[in-house]
Amino acid sequence: MSIEERVKRIIAEHFGVSADSLREETSFVGDLMAESIDTVELVATFEEEFGLEIPDEEAERNQTVGQVIDYIKAKLAKRDIP
Amino acid sequence: MKLCIFEDERYDLLYPLTLTRATFELRCGTMTLFERIMRAFRSTDAAFFLRDYLAPVFKERFGDLAVNDMSLLRSDEVVFANGRWLPRAGQPLDGDEVVATSKGDVVYLRAKRDTVRKALSESVEKTIDNLRSELSSEEVDARMIEYPWDLVKYNHEALEEDFDLYRSKRKDMVTLDERVAVVGEKDMVYISDTARLHPFVVLDVSAGPIIIDDRARVYPFSRLEGPCYIGRDTWVVRGNIREDTSIGPVCRVGGEVEASIIGGYSNKYHTGFLGHAYVGEWVNIGALTTNSDLKNDYSTVDVYVKGKLVDTGDIKVGGFIGDHTKFGIGCLLNTGAVVGVACVILGGEVLPKYIPSFCWYAGGRYRRGAGLRRTVEAERRVMSRRGIAMSDSYVKMLERIYQDSREERETLIKKAERKSATEERPS
Repeated sequence: MSIEERVKRIIAEHFGVSADSLREETSFVGDLMAESIDTVELVATFEEEFGLEIPDEEAERNQTVGQVIDYIKAKLAKRDIP
Repeated sequence: MKLCIFEDERYDLLYPLTLTRATFELRCGTMTLFERIMRAFRSTDAAFFLRDYLAPVFKERFGDLAVNDMSLLRSDEVVFANGRWLPRAGQPLDGDEVVATSKGDVVYLRAKRDTVRKALSESVEKTIDNLRSELSSEEVDARMIEYPWDLVKYNHEALEEDFDLYRSKRKDMVTLDERVAVVGEKDMVYISDTARLHPFVVLDVSAGPIIIDDRARVYPFSRLEGPCYIGRDTWVVRGNIREDTSIGPVCRVGGEVEASIIGGYSNKYHTGFLGHAYVGEWVNIGALTTNSDLKNDYSTVDVYVKGKLVDTGDIKVGGFIGDHTKFGIGCLLNTGAVVGVACVILGGEVLPKYIPSFCWYAGGRYRRGAGLRRTVEAERRVMSRRGIAMSDSYVKMLERIYQDSREERETLIKKAERKSATEERPS
């Protein structure tokens, strides 16, 4: 499963929507009605799923599904550089 | 004589309280069970045997004590004392070699040096098994802590017994502000020289003694009803502290508390009722959070123990709260509720009777919450506010509890997610 698919699966499960309905521009607050507790849980789930540490200030910058996918890809690429 | 205080295999019946401590670290009256056992045997020294993952934290909490060291049992007569035992004050415990039992459990076991040496095995459990087959048994009347609610049940007796200790160390009655009212005999109150009682405090000792320990503060318009214990560095802020209650050390408590034990560093500053409950350490209970301790049909209360409901046989049973759990404002705990370690609970409705460790409960469903790393960081901040640094051993203990509770937590979260999806599906 690609990073994009994994991110979408986690978001879809969390909000009880289909992964196919998630687009890059889908907004957590505007479209998925995310509250602060959703943000906390999603960040914790991404940290566990990808073995990352995501600081709060970086998490806050990711407002859409596409931004999260790009952020995690970049974070993983940085981590994997020897 | 070497005193050996051990955990037996029934520690898990006392979850969530014993997830973060040995059975003999539980509190009843004014002290821990191990302090009470040491007092019963007039011993200032003991060897302790407990689960390996708790051993480093136990040492950090109580100093460099002898822990899980079998070699200490070779050189003297040994008394093995079960860490779930609540000995009575003045109970005669001298005598010959014997296995004292209560309903099949070893309460204590006394054996001479040579007998112990012959029975020694790689673990204290096996050594005790070997000794049981060698020595004669005697059934004794003992208070054993089998379930969490037993601690609450015995708190009245324990407080009355402990008062004699405090009374004996008192030289003179502390001079009270004339605006502090004592209802009953004044010599039923022990107030440390360093404690401070503000005006307009009522101490009602009609039904039992009141002990206010070192540096405790009781603020105006608080009413304390004996028997009760206000531990060291604890503040009672406009509290209605009812009978059979032990609080502290280092707690901040207000509102109504009845027949409850509140562990160290926990806060319940505001209005709200807590009754027949045992609250762990570093717990925060938000304003108006209340627990039920009586069912509307006055039937006996069931409590979840190891995944099954156990009938307590009692009609008054409150909640059992693991360390580091946080309740928001207005949470309503069901009768006999069990909430694990490091949970976050947001209120608004009556909570389910069981919430596993590191789980959040909000919006009517179980949730994953902040995960391990962020929870540890938050609790590190909480502890540092009271001047305590969270050690690496402590973090490892929390990690272990997080991993061990994962399956149970995920099962409940997934069940809640499925239920939520079904409810939201249009018909």
